[in-house]
Amino acid sequence: MMDKSSQGSIPPLLEVQRLSLSFRNQENAIDDVSFKLTAGRTLGLVGASGAGKSSIARAILRLLEPDAGNILFDGNNVLEMDRDQLKETRRRIQIVFQEPSASLSPRRTVAQTLLEPLRHFAIGDRQSRQDTIRRTLHTVGLDPDVLQRYPHQFSSGQQQRIAIARALVTRPDLVIADEAVSALDVSIQAQILKLIQSLQKEHGITFLFISHDLAVIRQIADEVAVMYRGQLLEYSSADSFFSGPAHPYSKALLSFAGFNTPPPLPVIQAPARHASACIYAARCSEKMPVCERFRSENYKIKNKEGPLCVKCHLYDEKNADET
Amino acid sequence: MSTAALSVKDLSVWIETTAGRRRVVDNISFSIKAGEATGLVGESGCGKTMTAFAILGMLPAAGATIETTSIEINGRDISRLSTAQMRSVLGRDVAMVFQQPGTALDPVFTIGQQIIEVHRRHAGGGKNNNRQAMLDSLTQVGFDQPGKIAAAYPHELSGGMRQLAMIAMATVCNPAVLIADEPTTALDSRTRALILQQIKRLQADNGTAILLVSHDLSVIRQSCQNVMVMYCGRLLEKTDCQSLFAHARHPYSAGLISCIPQISAKMGSGIKAIPGQVPAPSALPPGCHFAPRCGRAVPQCESSVPALEPGTEQGVACFRPL
Repeated sequence: MMDKSSQGSIPPLLEVQRLSLSFRNQENAIDDVSFKLTAGRTLGLVGASGAGKSSIARAILRLLEPDAGNILFDGNNVLEMDRDQLKETRRRIQIVFQEPSASLSPRRTVAQTLLEPLRHFAIGDRQSRQDTIRRTLHTVGLDPDVLQRYPHQFSSGQQQRIAIARALVTRPDLVIADEAVSALDVSIQAQILKLIQSLQKEHGITFLFISHDLAVIRQIADEVAVMYRGQLLEYSSADSFFSGPAHPYSKALLSFAGFNTPPPLPVIQAPARHASACIYAARCSEKMPVCERFRSENYKIKNKEGPLCVKCHLYDEKNADET
Repeated sequence: MSTAALSVKDLSVWIETTAGRRRVVDNISFSIKAGEATGLVGESGCGKTMTAFAILGMLPAAGATIETTSIEINGRDISRLSTAQMRSVLGRDVAMVFQQPGTALDPVFTIGQQIIEVHRRHAGGGKNNNRQAMLDSLTQVGFDQPGKIAAAYPHELSGGMRQLAMIAMATVCNPAVLIADEPTTALDSRTRALILQQIKRLQADNGTAILLVSHDLSVIRQSCQNVMVMYCGRLLEKTDCQSLFAHARHPYSAGLISCIPQISAKMGSGIKAIPGQVPAPSALPPGCHFAPRCGRAVPQCESSVPALEPGTEQGVACFRPL
């Protein structure tokens, strides 16, 4: 969807091509979504609840089976892998969930929780596994004396550190953080964001960082992708995005974030729409007649910080002529 | 004091733990005028929710002890009412919006039935009257099709819509005081904006006095005039929102502000975390409870307790304020 000349010929670590996925009797949870993620970089995937962010995360790990499209990880299609290849891919892609108290087993000690992935993927021997665990704990800022304790004996911030340690213990190339800081207090959130920043810097881990909070995305992401009801509406570098997003939905999202006083808001229920219309037309403040009839192409535009890719009729030059 | 809609004097809360009796709210006093909102901010485990529950008289049932000089709503002391008397106060004079609307709403009744029940209990009147009040209340919080929402069960609504329904239920009898405990936590930014818009509407249109409990200062800044910073059961700073953000005087307040991720800050530049974590009520340090995490602490902070000036509207409990 986006060309980045600065990235040159380095093949992306993850490439999602025209991915679609639907649940029974519903509009597409993921609707023709494409993006690339270069090794060592962080993509911030942002959108309201129900936009399909988590479905993408799950599809990448093949926890959900997409209807169409390709997911290339390190050049290989995840959707065509056999069992052994998929297992190895799942070692290399780890995920951290929103609620640490729900994603850690209450009946396992920290040592058991961290040992499990090493056993499952047959990494190392008995002694080296202990070393790996201790090293990983150190990376996330926990002392080795926590090993024999259970999740309920930790605060939510420490629990999330354990969940991150569990993801890191297999030495993954890509970590998907699915709303990993959303359930935390701002003060704990700041501590976890600092931890993720140091992992980016010191270990070169690639992140797919999913969040509904643009201010958090700003701290973490190199690139930003905005989702709305299953579709990717805008995709660009973080600097171009935050210097002036192009899509009306992105502008609205940005106005709700941070310290800005929210503008008066319209109706609450998501309105019905014509199947081929722009997905955001019913709520859009800059709607044109064409938006009710056709879905927009992706247009490449530029602002002062760099290129943006946006799915909106406003940026079609034909329409610019008409208005 | 007659101008204050809510006035709390010398409130302390004690809980029984396996290690003995612990004070989780430590002698706090404050008041909120009609039409104003005050934010109560602090990390998890600082006693914010305990304070809210204590005001509503919900704690004795949970095994906690309350000591207070008075808790007045429009001049009437509610701290010594019986459970039966309290029942006629809750929902009419003071109402609460909880953090988890999913668990606070009853899953087997429709939204409409639950709101009508509140109105019938306090305002009485005929069937049509109650139903109309319920529909008005849903309309006021922004639903364009209140009849549809009224017929829905809680599980049929999204989290944000449930929270708005919860606000409609809390405000159907137009209470003088509304206590909102983390009403926007775990909601996305658009829904959060909708909820905060309602908080402001209630102040402006109904003259409701609001106590907004949150760990997130950016939420408080968007909806409150005044703010109280709480740590380990004590109020560390009381001031108006503008002054706090322009010049936070307590190092803890400044720490909480610097935790908020900023859209304007470039990647990687903005985050400053407060080191360490909130101590358990059984392991409170002597002196100022924040001293072990404070970059400005001096030996005095570890031995004696800095106090807020009693009776003042603004102040800071710190020996070395910023």
